[in-house]
Amino acid sequence: MGAISAIARTTLGEAIRRKVLLIIMLIGILFLSVIPAFSVLSAKSELTTMISAMFFVLRYTSALIAIVLTVYMLPNEIERRTIYTILSKPVQRWQFLLGKYLGAIFALGLMIGMMSFLMITMFYLFQHPEASKMFELARQALLYFVEMSLLTAVAMFFSTFVSPLVNFFISIGLWLVGTLLNPLYESISKNNEMAPVLKSIFSFVFSLLPNFANYDTKNPIINPGQAIQNETIYYLKITGYGFLYIGILLILGILIFDRREV
Amino acid sequence: MKTTNKSLLGVVAALAVGQGLLHHNAIYPQWEQNYAPKTGNVVGSLAPDQIFLSLFGFREFLAGILWVKADGFFEDGNYDAVLPIIRLCTLLDPKQVDIYTTGMWHIAYNFTDEDNRSDRRYIPVALALGREGCKNNDYTYELFFETGWTWFHKIQDDFPKAVYYLEEARKRPDMLNARKNVLSQAYFRNGDPMKAVNEYLDLEAKAEDLYIREPTFPNSQNRDTVQKNLDNTLVRMAQRGWFAQNTDQGKSENWFSKYAYDTKPAFDTNFSIKVTVVEPNVFRCEGTWDVLPVGTRIRVILKDADYPNGRPAGMDWEGGPNTTVQFEPPKGITYMQDELYVKNRRFNKKLDLSRDPTMYSFAKDKYVLEFYYTPRLAPAHIQDKFGWNGEGMTDSLFLNTAIRPGQRVMYCKMDISKDMIRRRGEFSMQGGKTPVLKTPNYRETGITKDPDGEVIDINIAPLRSK
Repeated sequence: MGAISAIARTTLGEAIRRKVLLIIMLIGILFLSVIPAFSVLSAKSELTTMISAMFFVLRYTSALIAIVLTVYMLPNEIERRTIYTILSKPVQRWQFLLGKYLGAIFALGLMIGMMSFLMITMFYLFQHPEASKMFELARQALLYFVEMSLLTAVAMFFSTFVSPLVNFFISIGLWLVGTLLNPLYESISKNNEMAPVLKSIFSFVFSLLPNFANYDTKNPIINPGQAIQNETIYYLKITGYGFLYIGILLILGILIFDRREV
Repeated sequence: MKTTNKSLLGVVAALAVGQGLLHHNAIYPQWEQNYAPKTGNVVGSLAPDQIFLSLFGFREFLAGILWVKADGFFEDGNYDAVLPIIRLCTLLDPKQVDIYTTGMWHIAYNFTDEDNRSDRRYIPVALALGREGCKNNDYTYELFFETGWTWFHKIQDDFPKAVYYLEEARKRPDMLNARKNVLSQAYFRNGDPMKAVNEYLDLEAKAEDLYIREPTFPNSQNRDTVQKNLDNTLVRMAQRGWFAQNTDQGKSENWFSKYAYDTKPAFDTNFSIKVTVVEPNVFRCEGTWDVLPVGTRIRVILKDADYPNGRPAGMDWEGGPNTTVQFEPPKGITYMQDELYVKNRRFNKKLDLSRDPTMYSFAKDKYVLEFYYTPRLAPAHIQDKFGWNGEGMTDSLFLNTAIRPGQRVMYCKMDISKDMIRRRGEFSMQGGKTPVLKTPNYRETGITKDPDGEVIDINIAPLRSK
């Protein structure tokens, strides 16, 4: 446990010193800061535009940070040969991978936390909402954090056997597809003209791929008044789903990394 | 190590199955119920670039921006350009109630001809949009109210539909008190004043309660208005003989035949009309209606004889070719609806349909002209005589009790051909006959102008003296 914790702390330190991540985060912060100014241009739907745009920036910036942070993590250690100094100590490979992952998650959490804080502050300054609305915003930000933890696990899994550039495109592609799965499945399941065999294939793929769309629950926040049933249970389910999937990816990553020549 | 690996692979397989089941059976159904945009088939309705933007978590933002663009088109009067934006916005963000309400109003009210007559071919589209909006936003009263309002105010027919939607709106806790009064009015139009009374009683109790909690002037006015409405209704029900005809005691003691209720005896409206096609696609309607100097509007409809889902004095507004949200009404069909304003017991109106060929294509060979009057839409002072269902009204030639079950209405139908409308063939403007259609009882009024500028003749006998 000590080894995992030490690697996680080191990874966190490295992550927050990486300029590219800080630049991505600063761009996100810049966008979040100017969105309220643009939303006043939207007649009658300032709130909708503002919240929607803020969540959009938060989600996409977080995804970019998660992927850029993770894709270079293992390859850099191997390329710079620093991994030898770690693995020559009584540290198992699985501990190394897990430590790296946890470090990445902490760094990601820190950055998402900062952006979310800014988002909620800007929202408060421009809209003076009730406390419950602020809570809803914070909750959605937390769900994005769970989503990005899953994305980090995806990138971590691929980083055990593909190059950073390839990993970048695979991860980002998988995330984009994952964000489409629910709306696509909804459309396809209601399309009576599609062949049943194609529907079955899509249903299989739908069950297999990591589904990031589950975490996008901003619609009721944007359009208030809807009665959401069993809200807490839903959040628990998708968090559990995230942990399950992260577990799958980390175990597979460990199995591959364990067999890899470094 | 191999054993460990196998065990781990087994764990992975178990977890994979677990996550699939969890997602498919527990998460997705709840997501679909609570968080899905509920657009139906988004993919089939959007262009590829729109799909890209909409599906990548951008849909609400894009809908907001597009709606701003629509505002610009409204300002410019470019109403046609607003339609696709409405559709796109509702697909992108079906939870934006404003888009549905504005869109419905726009489609139902803003497409007009040169004389500000609505293009009623669009109304089924507005209703379809309303139904979709209700389905996607059933948590709020707004779309139910707007759809009910379209039935109540714009269509003014099939009153049970207005009642249905307004009752659905009433079930939602966010409905504004002021709007609840409309439900009472819908009950009247549906010929059910007792339900209107019950609604007023409920509103009165709530208004009283609100006033006790917050004794402000607006709350006192609100309560007083409801009480006044209730008083008026009860008086009208008594004077029009409603209690006599609809209560057990009234019926058993035969009150209606014993006492002098306002609706007795039935008043003969003596409708007569002459329609002249004065120029191609231009009609003059002149005639008589022996009811008070002012207060009557007679509905006039000119439509294809085989209009899709047509029915006497209207159409099946929820049926026909436009039951889904399709913004292009079927071309080649004609439906004109207007009102003949009665002044000094006669009317004289020119209907010029020559300037709007896209609305009035007259592509078919046979048409019908219909004239229709229902007491359900009459103002209170006329309803005092005619009653809610027309029990105090008759017409020697055109009383009809079949086309609207439960109502006694005036209905007159005339067949007219394309040649007559277009003034072609034997009806040519160059020496042909002038097409004239008239009822057997038509009598010349000698007035050839619209009566708008006339002084109201107050010497006309009131309804009761008849």
